[in-house]
Amino acid sequence: MRDKAWYPVLYMFIATAFFSSILIGLARFSRDRVEANQRLSVEKAVLEALPIELPREASSLELHRIFLERVTGPSAASGNAYVLLEGDEVAAYAVPLEGKGYWDTIRGFIGIASDKNAVTGISFYEQNETPGLGAEIVQPPFRNQFVGKRIAEGDRPLGFRPAGSALEESEVHAITGATQTSTRVEKIINEDLAGWRSGLRSNGDSGS
Amino acid sequence: MSVVKEGLWDNNPIFRQVLGICSALAVTNLVLNTAVMCFALTWTTALSCLTVSLLREWTPHRIRMMVQTLIIAFYVILVDLALKAYWPEMSRNLGPYVGLIITNCIIMGRCEAFARSNPPGKSFLDGLFSGLGYSFVLLMVAVVRELLGMGTILGVPMPYFSTLWDKWIIMVMPPGAFFTLACLIWIFRSIRSGEEEKSV
Repeated sequence: MRDKAWYPVLYMFIATAFFSSILIGLARFSRDRVEANQRLSVEKAVLEALPIELPREASSLELHRIFLERVTGPSAASGNAYVLLEGDEVAAYAVPLEGKGYWDTIRGFIGIASDKNAVTGISFYEQNETPGLGAEIVQPPFRNQFVGKRIAEGDRPLGFRPAGSALEESEVHAITGATQTSTRVEKIINEDLAGWRSGLRSNGDSGS
Repeated sequence: MSVVKEGLWDNNPIFRQVLGICSALAVTNLVLNTAVMCFALTWTTALSCLTVSLLREWTPHRIRMMVQTLIIAFYVILVDLALKAYWPEMSRNLGPYVGLIITNCIIMGRCEAFARSNPPGKSFLDGLFSGLGYSFVLLMVAVVRELLGMGTILGVPMPYFSTLWDKWIIMVMPPGAFFTLACLIWIFRSIRSGEEEKSV
C-alpha cells in the first residue's frame, strides 16, 4: 500500500485533518476568553485615563464592574469619547487615541475633564515600541506628567519638549532616546484631541 | 546521556550550529520575555521531535518535510492560543515572534537530523535538550542586555546598575543583541577550542 501513488496524498490529508481539527476545536473553546481579554484591556485603559481612584492590584473582574457602573460608551454627543458619569453629570471624557507608532499601531486613551481643558490622565492598551525606550510610554513616569496639564487652543493642544527643559502648562517631557516614538505619540495626541474638539463643536453648533 | 551533552554543549544550537539566531536577536532585551520564548521553543522542539519520531515508520519519505512543518505548526499554535487566552500581556509583548517559532531552524533541524531516524524516547530527549541548550544561551544574552541596558533583571532594579551605571541604551536596541551574542559565541568557542586541544 505504501508504494502506491495515492498513499502520500491520503497520508497528508489525514494528518492535516487530524491536527487542524484539534486546533479548530481549541480555538473555538478559547475564543470567548481571548475576546474578553481584549475588551478588558480596553476597559482598563479607559479607567486609567479617567480621574477614578482604582483599587490597587484590582482584578480584571473588579475593573470590569467599575467600568460598567461609571462609564458610558462613545456617542455622537461626546465626540466618540467614553464618558465618566458623576450622578447624571459628565465628570470626564476618555478620548480614544490611535495612530502609527515607530514599529506598530499605538492605541490608547487620554482623559479630559468636563471643562474640556484639564487632562486627567493618559493610557495605552496597544503598542509595540522598543522595550526600555519607546515602550516607556506605558510607564507611570511618562504618563503621570500629563495629569493636570491644560490643553491649548489651536491644532497643537499638547506639546512635547526635550527632557530637562522648562515646561508650559500644555507641555510634557518627551522620552530621551525615543525620539521616533515621542514625535509620533505627540502627533497622535494632537490630531486626535484636535479632531475630538472640532467634532464636539460642530455637534454643539448643529444642536443649538 | 550523550544526547543531553550534545544538545547543551557539543552541538549547542546557538554557538555551535548557529541556528535560530533570528529569535535570539529579537526577543532577548527583557529576561521575562526571553524565558517565555525559551519555554515555547523547548516545548515545541521536544514534542515535535517526539511526534515526528512516532510517525517515522508511516511517513512517506517524499512528503516528510510537509508533515514536519504541519506538526511543528500544530505545537506552536497551541502555545500561541494558550498565551492569548491566559497571558494576554505576554502575548502582546512577544507579538509575532511566537508564530515565527514555526520557522525556527532548530526545530526543523532536529526533526530532520535526528527524530526521523531515532526512537521516540531518545528523540524527545534530543529535542528537549536542544531546546534547553538554546534557552541557556538566550537567557545569558537577555540578562546581559537587560542589566546593561536598563539596570534591571526581570524588571527588578539591581544595585549599582539601576543607580550609578550610565545605561547603555543601545543594549536594548537590536544592535545590542549582535554585540552580546557575538561576544558569547566567541567566549564559548574559545573554551571549546581549548578542550579540543587537550583531548587530541
